[in-house]
Amino acid sequence: MSFKFHLDTHAGVQHLTLTGRLDSATFVNLEKTIHGLFNSAGDRVLIDLSALSYISSAGLRLMVVAAKRARQVGGQLILCGLSPTVRTVFEISGFLKIMATTETKAEAERALQT
Amino acid sequence: METLIAPASGKKLLLDYTMPSQVVMFGNLAVSVEDVIPDLPEIAFSTNLCLEELITNTIQYGLGNVPDHAIRICISRSADYLEIVVKDDAPPFDPFNVVPTPNIHADLEEREIGGLGVHLVRSLMDEVWATYDGTGNLITLKKTLAQ
Repeated sequence: MSFKFHLDTHAGVQHLTLTGRLDSATFVNLEKTIHGLFNSAGDRVLIDLSALSYISSAGLRLMVVAAKRARQVGGQLILCGLSPTVRTVFEISGFLKIMATTETKAEAERALQT
Repeated sequence: METLIAPASGKKLLLDYTMPSQVVMFGNLAVSVEDVIPDLPEIAFSTNLCLEELITNTIQYGLGNVPDHAIRICISRSADYLEIVVKDDAPPFDPFNVVPTPNIHADLEEREIGGLGVHLVRSLMDEVWATYDGTGNLITLKKTLAQ
């Protein structure tokens, strides 16, 4: 029941993969990484949520921070692989209207290449 | 110790759990909730989310992050609904009356960074209310079960 994340770069796109429980205890581990994702116009980031089993408002806050940073610098952010329960939480929070999401990682990669 | 949920015919107490006032303990609580309703994984997710949001508020604002308070959680189930009760020993606080509703339709630029917790609880549960019994706050949540 832990939380892990991994950040690497493929073809100029940063891939941030989240695994496990992103809650009010674990979000602090991710905060610095989220703040560092977008630094200049054209930065492209994919956040892969397919292995994220749980997210609470503490984790949702970080997604808003990432989306706002992307908008501020003129970057692109796509979230992919939301499980049905995680998607429900995003929908209730109104995030599906302010964040780009795709079902699969391949779709997100294609969208960020164009 | 007296149960937090009044007994009633057809209603079975599934969980009576006490955790210290520390956010690092939510992972353990989540496993216990999942264990008592293994046939309802989506409702277990919602229940854990609501418990975390409400108890985090209590720990941060009601108890000032003091880590050695006890928070008690009881869950019971009938044919029609799941009932969840949380008891703390914090000063009187009703999150459902005090916390403002976030504007979830705002554009990204206008969106607040936080403030979603109580909105999530209201949205995921069918009935929510809080009372103060003289020793602490009792928060009750009800989730209707599909027949």
